Amino acid sequence: MQTRRSFLKFGAGAAAIGALSPLSVSANSSNIKWDEEHEIIIVGSGFAGLAAAVEAGKLGAKDIVIFEKLGVYGGNSTLNAGQACFANTDLQKKLGIEDSAELMVQDQLKSGRGYASEQLLKHSAELGPYIYQLTKDCGCVYRDHIINTGGTSATRSHQVVERSGAGFIRPMLKTARSYGVKTKIRHKFEHLITAKDGKVLGIQVRRGYHFGHEDSGELINVKAEKGVLIATGGFGANVSFRQALDPNLGSEVGCTNARGATGDGLIAMLAEGAMPIHLSFIQSGPWASPDEGGFGYGAGFSLYNFPHSIAIDRNTGRRFMNETADRKTRADLEVQRRDKDGNPNPALLIAPKHEAQKDPSMANVLKYNVAWEFDSVEAIAKHFDLPKKELKAQIDDWNKYVKTGEDPQFGKRMNMSTGIYLTAPFIVQRLWPKVHYCQGGIQINAKAEVIAAKTGKNIPGLYAAGEVSGGVHGVSRLGGCSTPECMAFGVTAARSMMKA
Amino acid sequence: MKKINTLLVLILGGCIALSAQARDKRDYHEMVYDSGCKTCHDQGMKAFPSDNSCLQCHDMSELAEQTKREGHEARQNPHDSMHYGQEAPCMECHGEHKPKQAICMDCHNFDFPKFKQ
Repeated sequence: MQTRRSFLKFGAGAAAIGALSPLSVSANSSNIKWDEEHEIIIVGSGFAGLAAAVEAGKLGAKDIVIFEKLGVYGGNSTLNAGQACFANTDLQKKLGIEDSAELMVQDQLKSGRGYASEQLLKHSAELGPYIYQLTKDCGCVYRDHIINTGGTSATRSHQVVERSGAGFIRPMLKTARSYGVKTKIRHKFEHLITAKDGKVLGIQVRRGYHFGHEDSGELINVKAEKGVLIATGGFGANVSFRQALDPNLGSEVGCTNARGATGDGLIAMLAEGAMPIHLSFIQSGPWASPDEGGFGYGAGFSLYNFPHSIAIDRNTGRRFMNETADRKTRADLEVQRRDKDGNPNPALLIAPKHEAQKDPSMANVLKYNVAWEFDSVEAIAKHFDLPKKELKAQIDDWNKYVKTGEDPQFGKRMNMSTGIYLTAPFIVQRLWPKVHYCQGGIQINAKAEVIAAKTGKNIPGLYAAGEVSGGVHGVSRLGGCSTPECMAFGVTAARSMMKA
Repeated sequence: MKKINTLLVLILGGCIALSAQARDKRDYHEMVYDSGCKTCHDQGMKAFPSDNSCLQCHDMSELAEQTKREGHEARQNPHDSMHYGQEAPCMECHGEHKPKQAICMDCHNFDFPKFKQ
């Protein structure tokens, strides 16, 4: 009589045989059996990958393929707030905002604390108006409101009406396909295939891959005629990798990224001798809420409200930061809010409802328990157990700053809160940073070519763009400044490959 | 008796070998089980079903219609979402043999009352 145990034994045996095949071919071999060949290979379907596909299509490429590891397109790009900083656009002019590429670069250099690449920032900022138009040509629709993100000296974060990166990704995906770009989900990039002289010939891909099942699917070798673009994003979702680089970023700190942000592309390029740069500079989002997963709705709410609202330490009832300082400044201060035992005691963002309700995010955060409404200071103090007198004094002080246009506490730029007094009823959201962006990555030049660590020269046939590339932003990236950079270097990579 | 047992081992073994959770199944898919594992496992028993497998019986645009939402929630239609339109493959959110949750829940506290884990 067969028992269930022997069924399971039989099952385990079958699984073991399955794991042995198909056999992997080794890289660096010139005798590769190629399963597919394409003019241009793009790995990753986020902003960088799609911008490259659209630009290459515009330039006449006939055979472009995009490999996406996940079951859905857009990776991390489809999850963000849909903002992109462009300087000197028609919308800025219409709204009376004076700005320039030079000013944008200066803001970013300041936030980068001496580590940002002026050359790459300049290249990206100057391509800004082209990218703005390219996205509009793809069918992306911008709001009439421009967002003021932290650390900037001019309001420049243009936002699509969806208020999500999906508002870029879906029209760009559609446009790419209209150029005949082949888009393939469940194709996981395994490693580069290089010739003896170091030139990248193609890649090995796991076709039919299901995320979390590392042995699923089958390995195929794909040859690139013109080049391989690695646009695989960051490694924010790879806890062991990020914690090795920054011990503060253990699992206590959440992550806003898509589940696929595990650094595959970065790790594979490192294996081929590419130059690592600033890997420890990992940015956390100071606008995140611990009351939902990922990026969620809270981010949009706090982004809209930071300029005219205050962030309060629950121990003191007082402000503890400039709510529009750059991200690193704020995230570092937020993560220090602790109770007496050292456990996280998230700060409170207190916004006036009369202003908060002007943005659609308020309805979302209230509905999904990411923020709550209170009709008095007493009610906030009671609910969150914080000193009422102190909180009251802080709100009175703040309203004086609104009136005078000066913030003697933290030097916040007050022109975004003119006439917006903090009065009841209040909307309150908790703040706790989440890992959001990896400034570090692989070094590229202004042609989006990948640089080899050994020689300082480019690796032929290999390009990188977007979050996987490093050194652009330095220590801290400003809000809304990745989207334009991802797209600018995606476009640049396409131009370089078409010339190659 | 022995022959029947051997046959059973082969058939059941083929299913169970895939995963220890293969015993779990959806009551409403009973008729699919009656037709055999390969009804869904169209890429062989050692592989996940193809993304088109579920679509042999289910139509994406019909599902989108069934889960349509109004007003404030209009973009939260899991079968026609703001992020992925109608392109999210069934298995991103649904599992036949093991509990799963909608990928929306990675970031949002949505309420999908009809969703069966």
